[in-house]
Amino acid sequence: MKKKVLSALLCASMVATMVAGCGGNDENAATDSNAGGEAAAPATEAAADDGAAAPATEAAAADPVANLIAATDGTVSLELWCSETDAYQTTMAELVEGFKAQYPDVDFDITIGAVSEADAKDRVLEDVEAAADVFVFADDQVNDLVTAGALQSVDATFTYDPTATNSASTVEAASKDGKLYAYPLTASNGYFLYYNSEVFTEEDVQSWESLTAAAEAANKKVGMDVGNGWYLYGFFAGAGCNLTMNDDQSNTCDWNNETGVAVAESIQNIASSSAFISVADADAQAMLPDGDLAAYVSGTWDSGIFEENYGAGYAATKLPTFDVNGTATQMGSYAGYKFVGVSAYSEFPGWSMLLAEYLTSEDSQAKIAEATGEGPANTAAAATITSPALSALAAQAEFADQQVVGGNFWDPAASLGASLVEGTDDVQGLLDTAVEGITQPVSAQ
Amino acid sequence: MKKTVNIIVRHIVLALLAFIWLIPIIWLVVTSLSAYKGVNYAHFFPTEWSLDNYQQLFFRPDTAANFPAWFKNSMIIGVFTCIISSVFVLMVSYAFSCMRFKARKPLMSFSIILGMFPGVLSMIAVYFVLKLLGLTDSLAGLVFVYSAASGLGFLICKGFFDTIPVSLREAAKLEGASEFTIFSRIVIPLSKPMIVYTVINSFLNPWMDFVMARLMIKSKNSADWTVAIGLYNLLQRSLIGDYFSVFCAGGVIVAIPISILFIIMQKFYVEGITGGAVKG
Amino acid sequence: MRKILDGLKKYFGDFGKSVAKGDIWTRLSLVVMGAGYIGRKQIVKGILITLLEVVIILAEVLVTGPYMAKLNTLGTVQREEVLDLTTLTKTVNDYDNSLLILLYGVIGVLIIVAFVFLWISNMKAVYRLQEMKENGEHINSFAQDVKALFDGKFYITLLTLPSLGVIMMNIIPIIFMICIAFTNYDQNHQPPTYLFTWVGLENFKQLFTSGTTVTFSYAFVRILIWTLIWAVAATFTTFIGGILLAQFINHQNTKCKKLWRTLFIVTIAIPQFVTLLLISKMFGNYGIVNTICSNLGITDFLHNIGLVSSSLDYIPFLSKPGWAHVMIILINIWVGVPYQMLVATGILMNIPTDQLESARIDGANKFQIFWKITMPYILFIMGPSLIQSVVSNINNFNVIYLLTTGYTTTNMAFANSNAKETDLLITWLFTLTNDYSNYKMASVIGIITFVICAAITLLSYTRMISGDKEEEYQ
Repeated sequence: MKKKVLSALLCASMVATMVAGCGGNDENAATDSNAGGEAAAPATEAAADDGAAAPATEAAAADPVANLIAATDGTVSLELWCSETDAYQTTMAELVEGFKAQYPDVDFDITIGAVSEADAKDRVLEDVEAAADVFVFADDQVNDLVTAGALQSVDATFTYDPTATNSASTVEAASKDGKLYAYPLTASNGYFLYYNSEVFTEEDVQSWESLTAAAEAANKKVGMDVGNGWYLYGFFAGAGCNLTMNDDQSNTCDWNNETGVAVAESIQNIASSSAFISVADADAQAMLPDGDLAAYVSGTWDSGIFEENYGAGYAATKLPTFDVNGTATQMGSYAGYKFVGVSAYSEFPGWSMLLAEYLTSEDSQAKIAEATGEGPANTAAAATITSPALSALAAQAEFADQQVVGGNFWDPAASLGASLVEGTDDVQGLLDTAVEGITQPVSAQ
Repeated sequence: MKKTVNIIVRHIVLALLAFIWLIPIIWLVVTSLSAYKGVNYAHFFPTEWSLDNYQQLFFRPDTAANFPAWFKNSMIIGVFTCIISSVFVLMVSYAFSCMRFKARKPLMSFSIILGMFPGVLSMIAVYFVLKLLGLTDSLAGLVFVYSAASGLGFLICKGFFDTIPVSLREAAKLEGASEFTIFSRIVIPLSKPMIVYTVINSFLNPWMDFVMARLMIKSKNSADWTVAIGLYNLLQRSLIGDYFSVFCAGGVIVAIPISILFIIMQKFYVEGITGGAVKG
Repeated sequence: MRKILDGLKKYFGDFGKSVAKGDIWTRLSLVVMGAGYIGRKQIVKGILITLLEVVIILAEVLVTGPYMAKLNTLGTVQREEVLDLTTLTKTVNDYDNSLLILLYGVIGVLIIVAFVFLWISNMKAVYRLQEMKENGEHINSFAQDVKALFDGKFYITLLTLPSLGVIMMNIIPIIFMICIAFTNYDQNHQPPTYLFTWVGLENFKQLFTSGTTVTFSYAFVRILIWTLIWAVAATFTTFIGGILLAQFINHQNTKCKKLWRTLFIVTIAIPQFVTLLLISKMFGNYGIVNTICSNLGITDFLHNIGLVSSSLDYIPFLSKPGWAHVMIILINIWVGVPYQMLVATGILMNIPTDQLESARIDGANKFQIFWKITMPYILFIMGPSLIQSVVSNINNFNVIYLLTTGYTTTNMAFANSNAKETDLLITWLFTLTNDYSNYKMASVIGIITFVICAAITLLSYTRMISGDKEEEYQ
């Protein structure tokens, strides 16, 4: 009996020490999160004192950046997440050096981590407190990140005005409820058509019907990832169907109306061509060296591989039209952007915001564009850069919409696309169930 | 005559089966020797051969692939995990198999039920426990994750201990040996196959698991990853085109030490499992 | 049931007796836990136990106390931040983090439970000490106590650390996740920025009245059925495959047994996720296998006999229901058989030869011997581990997740619940938490999976754990 007690004690004491250990950590964490606040107060006072003592420095005190530099002592350690591709990693490293050089009096420790823009939201939301201070993410994640309270809103800017220098659509996409939440970085994350001009003429790529016919004749394939809501949207949006997000993050969608049925039938018709394949990006890339895939709907991220494989025939254009009730209808698309966001849980919000501004300035955007082939969000920088992919994107731009859609869209839409490629007799029924899924209420209590 | 036919047929069938089993492995090996970096769907064998992938793996680590660092991390985690896990499993098994105390059976039933809770579900909670302990983002944290609950895997080892004749222990006791002496001097030396089995199983963990590791290692600096996280990461959409054959080369390199371990330990391994399973 | 009640009665009865009949030292132990030992000259032990008591109470009051106080609401103060635009510094209010409150709360409650247990046991031990003293029995010195921990009470030493590990890695997370099922922790209530709170049985009600998604119960039932089919099929196919292969290799006519065995074992050595990803690429819609099949005309042949719909120009190995289900089980055979072969080899070597001999003398043919003697023997030995592998297959995340990343369902009813035909409960759960932050529903599904597994195991394990057999072999 005694020994049992002793063992229980041993056990409990270990638990206790462990808990005590945790407690210590937690307190540290608590002080950390308050550190900003506490440090802030003396800094403000110091600034105020300075101002009172020497009126000459008053101008400096009104300059937040100068205040920040004055209030900073010790190392400012920041973490930056951007795409794992080599182009991004090296360019960002160069830009970070430039940022450090701009503030020579401050001791920075900036680490760059590799997180794909598409995954940024998932990685950030796993534990917002452990997320990077500054991260690059794709525009479709603005909503989820804001909902989780992970983004620091851009309440003020210090070195330039992102709302003025960047294109209006990027600024709008980076905002929610009229408030800017991120700094636009690129405006080229949308999709368009790559094709091999040695196989297709410019007339061929005007419409899906002529494109598939020409491909059949040439015994080549044309592809698009129809089983993916992001691309599928282009057809329905082009024909004027409606898909928007409500305040509670559910969707409004009318794809099951008459136009929608006509669109769906048209997709089925295109997909029934023996030359058409619905294939995802990774598979398409793998098929390219073979030479069979002569046209594919994708974005600037693939420009390198298409250029390499199509060689002299490398060309890109806006998306083709498709036939709705006998009229050629231009396909719409989602415009895609990349943003730089600042974590709401950053220990150094001021420096994080300044870094984000630096990374998205006109010069930086131009450098990134040069290294990655993507189109800058900054209008001045965008004007200086041209490539077939970017001109195609620009041509598509007038038909492109900003992506505002609730999470319930993706799975039903992917399924809808896949079903249409496979072919169904009951198009109306299929659309009805799809719309039911897309518009289903978001559970909230 | 009939026997000869039987032997021939038997070996042909075996060869066929072995071939089926080895196709993916062969594809892995030949792709790792391909000069083309992406996925090759059109041909089974690469059109151009090259050793460059291995060279890149070992001598040109970059931000996406830092194999030497991954290998080192996995090795460290593997070694410590297998030491701690093996010790834990042996301790628990001895207590449940060779000693009698009131809470024994309830505790055993309880541990078996615990083992059934879907791990993926409690992952996020494990992460926060680890964060409370300040162990996220560290090799120590992963060692903790892989080995802390290893005591639950006592079943097979306990079965093995059950087969050790009780008379051995009783004789020792009559000579005044304490339970500790019996454990360390008699039971442990007798359970070599079981130890090998436990060591192999727990050593493999950090090489195989990417789900747990990806959540626990927050660092996005590739030098802090394990082989499993790193290789899995190479298959991302933006990387697969440039790194698929490097990924295959990584798979081959990882397989070499483990295969050697398996082949050498085959005999013990088989004994270890069956010894436990027989009476488990 | 009665036994448990009696046990409880005795437990608290003994405690009552200790308090009632204890002398001053014993009763003083109610407050200062070590007093009883100090009074009997077990000074070191007394001090240690009192110290422990102080540490636990301090930990409770200072560390987990503030969180436990908020456990009933899971926090009320939402995070608010103000960014001072002239100094670029941020002030954050003293906000509540529901997640930490719940986690610390669970830990705190666990410690209290452990403490009460400790306290009662301590009283009884102290009383026992008093009795021993009164009867003039020998009372252990501290050194003797320590020595006993390596002898008669060695199991305590053995089990302490592993139990602590299990408590931290399993018990605390599991209790925590079970609690989540009774809260509204989802996309709109994500800590630390936002609070979540208790909602009682609301989530379970929702699950069974089809509340979260329009087709939730449709998907749930089908996924549950496939999970069970998969678990049984995956377990038995690899099991039987392994035995047959082992039997085949072990046959007297087979040459180079070790070489054959090694060829199969090589497949275990490559990390499972590498081989699985590789195979999923091979069997992709435009993967190498499809290329070969269409070159050989197999695709056309399947078109002709109607196994592949004519609208597809590939064989949908892993992208259509039916095809994918079968392929997943086949691939799992590929993954699992070598391992089972290793296990079965060992068993076959130990099979009692006298039984086989007598059967042969009685004129039984090979198949009869296999089915009547070998199989029952193997089943007898492997029974428990078979059940264990059914359970682990129910929770087999890797195979399904890695093989079906490219799978898009064409069944709208599944899609509307973020599910697909090939999902197991566990992969569905992963999608729900990972992509949709729907932690509360994921917990509910997790609990149900757990109950299913526990039911299966308890039904079949009780005999085994009851331990009737284990003494026989010793």
